[in-house]
Amino acid sequence: DPAGCDDGEMVIKFSHVTNTDKHPKGIAANLFMERVNAEMDGKACVEVYPNSTLYNDDQVLEAMLQGDVQMAAPSLSKFETFTKIYRIFDLPFMFKNMDAVEEFQNSEVGQNMKEAMVRRGLLGLGFWHNGLKQFSANKPLLEPGDAAGLKFRVQPSDVLVAQMNALKASPQPMAFSEVYGALQTGVVDGQENTWSNIYGKKFFEVQDGTTETNHGLLDYMVVTSVDWWEGLDADVRDQLATIMDEVTKERNAAIAEVDAQNRQAVLDAGGVIRELTAEQRAHWVDVMKPVWAQFEGDVGADNIALAQEINAKH
Amino acid sequence: MTQYQDNLPKSAFARFLDAFEENLIALLLGLMTMITFVNVVMRYMFNHSLIWGLEVTLILFAWLVLLGISYGFKKTAHLGVDALINVLPSRGQRIMAVLSALACLLYAFLLMKGSWDYWAPFAGFQPTEGRWFPLGFAEGVRDRAFYVTDQVPMLGMFRWLEDAINYGDSYDKLPRVIPYAIIPFSAALLLLRVSQALVRILRGKQALLIVSHEAEDEVERVAHGEYEE
Amino acid sequence: MDVVLLFAMVVGLLLIGVPIAVSLGLSSMIFLLVFSDTSLASIAQSLYQAMAGHYTLLAIPFFILASSFMSTGGVAKRIVRFSIACVGHFRGGLAIAGVFACMIFAALSGSSPATVVAIGSIVIAAMRQMGYTKDFAAGVICNAGTLGILIPPSIVMVVYASTVDVSVGRMFLAGVIPGILAGTMLMIAIYVIARIKNLPKGEWAGWGEISSSFREAFWGLMLIVIIMVGIYGIPGVTGAIFTPTEAAAVASVYAFLVASFIYRDMGPLAATDGTAPSSLLQKPHALVTAFFHRDTRHTLFEAGKLTIMLMFIIANALILKHVLTDEQIPQQIAEAMLSAGFGKVMFLVMVNLILLIGGQFMEPSGLIVIVAPLVFPIAIELGVDPIHLGVIMVVNMEIGMITPPVGLNLFVTSGVAGMPMMAVVRAALPFLAILFLFLILITYIPAISTILPNALMGPEIITN
Ligand code: NA
Ligand code: NA
Repeated sequence: DPAGCDDGEMVIKFSHVTNTDKHPKGIAANLFMERVNAEMDGKACVEVYPNSTLYNDDQVLEAMLQGDVQMAAPSLSKFETFTKIYRIFDLPFMFKNMDAVEEFQNSEVGQNMKEAMVRRGLLGLGFWHNGLKQFSANKPLLEPGDAAGLKFRVQPSDVLVAQMNALKASPQPMAFSEVYGALQTGVVDGQENTWSNIYGKKFFEVQDGTTETNHGLLDYMVVTSVDWWEGLDADVRDQLATIMDEVTKERNAAIAEVDAQNRQAVLDAGGVIRELTAEQRAHWVDVMKPVWAQFEGDVGADNIALAQEINAKH
Repeated sequence: MTQYQDNLPKSAFARFLDAFEENLIALLLGLMTMITFVNVVMRYMFNHSLIWGLEVTLILFAWLVLLGISYGFKKTAHLGVDALINVLPSRGQRIMAVLSALACLLYAFLLMKGSWDYWAPFAGFQPTEGRWFPLGFAEGVRDRAFYVTDQVPMLGMFRWLEDAINYGDSYDKLPRVIPYAIIPFSAALLLLRVSQALVRILRGKQALLIVSHEAEDEVERVAHGEYEE
Repeated sequence: MDVVLLFAMVVGLLLIGVPIAVSLGLSSMIFLLVFSDTSLASIAQSLYQAMAGHYTLLAIPFFILASSFMSTGGVAKRIVRFSIACVGHFRGGLAIAGVFACMIFAALSGSSPATVVAIGSIVIAAMRQMGYTKDFAAGVICNAGTLGILIPPSIVMVVYASTVDVSVGRMFLAGVIPGILAGTMLMIAIYVIARIKNLPKGEWAGWGEISSSFREAFWGLMLIVIIMVGIYGIPGVTGAIFTPTEAAAVASVYAFLVASFIYRDMGPLAATDGTAPSSLLQKPHALVTAFFHRDTRHTLFEAGKLTIMLMFIIANALILKHVLTDEQIPQQIAEAMLSAGFGKVMFLVMVNLILLIGGQFMEPSGLIVIVAPLVFPIAIELGVDPIHLGVIMVVNMEIGMITPPVGLNLFVTSGVAGMPMMAVVRAALPFLAILFLFLILITYIPAISTILPNALMGPEIITN
């Protein structure tokens, strides 16, 4: 049965936190499942657990190290406890666009990052894109000064807190399930996210508008447990790795399209999108870029230099 | 509210322990409330927030409940269904009480094994072998001592852990081994309290494992004049 | 088949007198060990994460604490006196007022158990005082409390909306008319029962009693105003100040301050035999000592104890959910039932059935994220409005909360009212029938749900 798991097949549990058909991560995970179940029928099968039904991003890595789940794709900031080098992906304006992100991740430095956590027991199998983050708030954001004094919901990460402090905005940690309500009633003023999350979680409904800042990156890494991976038969492992590489290439290549669709969906649903002039954007960069210096020791000055070198090409 | 069966004679030490557990429960709930309240005030008045406030509140919440479970067994305060037991003759009731205490003992035992296996790698210890029953300690399981909380600041009093379990690497956040320590601790305490309850039941000093509302209901019916003669 | 075994194990353990929490948890562990490869460590993880990973459950301890301070500190007593003065002389008046209080509270909170905790501890006591039976009082509040997830804001609706990609705002609007309708149906039922069974009524004590009890209760009633303003803000003056979960913590602190410093029924300023309560001027150190006073500690402890009893059960219900999800049981049941190719009406009946069965084992948000994605594509094909489907799901969740063996409202009511579980089940039964009738209305008259969102936001465009 190419659709599900049969007796005798090795079951690979893939747990993630998004839907299965609209979010870039969910789409990619389902494609991976379909391909493994069709091409490795009889040997292995994938069961996808979407929507945080099995584990959320905080719990899934613990469960993986415990051997209770085999694959997951948390956002890159979740790996900062394993090694701080991943902070480079959270730093504001580090990458010019998704092409630069793609090239950086495919560079030798980027590919080595997949193995940066091996001694902790995790192995990266591929970077999956979501896209660049935008700011939304309950008032128009055109200059960085517009964000000063506002309360922004952020993920609890040191880099993102520093980024908000640079804007003189107040970073607020808040459970994801409460963000919509908090934006609606004004407990917090704004948030940052990619187009697919802003549309998917309906945040645009309760914001004055979204400003296309493209100031940060939200990407994922598919990870697996080193112990489990190394215990596989070599042919099974190679076939899984090949399918993963192909799925990663295919879905990452489609990210611009998914991003554009979600952006358009926000417009179609009546959301307001504000674009920045080159001059306005430069002001945001001026205010937020000093955050880099704070984390240079964690991410490596040479890595930052490489990212800038790549930016220059795009 | 609910009535507790707490009519056992107490030593000074037992009274001290009761007071300690009760004050701890009060303190944990009080802290959760104050941190959340202070965060609201800071956000609204000063546009600021304790970035660790949410996470610490949730940790205290887990501590409160996990620690309290064994207290509930000590005081026979957990909720259950007594509809069937109440219609049984006293011999049947006793058998049921012993059976249910054995079920709780199995629960506590399995939870103890699971708790150790979960926590041990965070503390640089080895989890146990075996699926149902611990068959000795595993070897060569990678430790998770490096694993820190999201935002809870490192406390100076725990710096010794860096050399003890983290190969001398410094922690910039509180390692998860600290908040998670409550899990095996509570499970061990639960195992103790359930064993004590089983002994009390076997010696005829305790009738049930769950809170009984019957006596209390009777008193109230009389008080409300529902039995008029 | 495996599921039937699991179900039998839970019920069997419950009947021999094993605590509810242990019945759920032990059955889950045995099921896990026999049927899956997942480790026992995952059970310990689930137990800890039931609290540490569920921000929305925080509302429960905070509202329990707020209620405890209100009861111990005399706030509740004064509100009860005021309500009895207002509606005590109508037959069933206080019970109807209790339902109304639940509806108001549901508009403040996104959670049903929190509604029962907050309203139940005060209203059940008041109804007892008027001479209602405990069963009747508990039955009313246990049912009316379920409105917490139907009347916005509602956590379950947020989860549904983001799972199937519809507007959260639309879902919130869709809950308003059904919420009012369900509340009204409960009130009518109480009125009818009151007529038939001659429920107790008091004497009309006159406007004097209303105004003097209002003055007494003023500081307690202000709590509602403070929470309302805090959650929704005042247009043009201030935005909202806190989230519904934080509101519960603020309510606790407020109730503590009112009880210790204004009413002085507890704490360092309270009257000791014979002497009048002291003023703060006499004992300024009370500002500090009140926080550590014996009464404060005792109230915190009592609230903590009730929190522990309830959360122990909820945490084990979450373990059960985790184990079922891990084995993909809900998916298998739903897929088996949906693969039959029904028409629209039979499909909706099937959805109701799946959710009612699922609701026996799982808490609402967990069930929604699993069932909604399975049901949704079929519903769209059959031409069911996604908003309508969402409201049907929420109403099913409400019913799940008051049906045994796993019903959070049953557990909470049992804890708050100090009643045996089975007595609560029996007490809730007549009103459960009302909710079933309501479910039928909601299922077959889509307009009840869709008319308000469509009127205010235009017709839903289905893009899937
Ligand atoms: Na609500
Ligand atoms: Na139920």
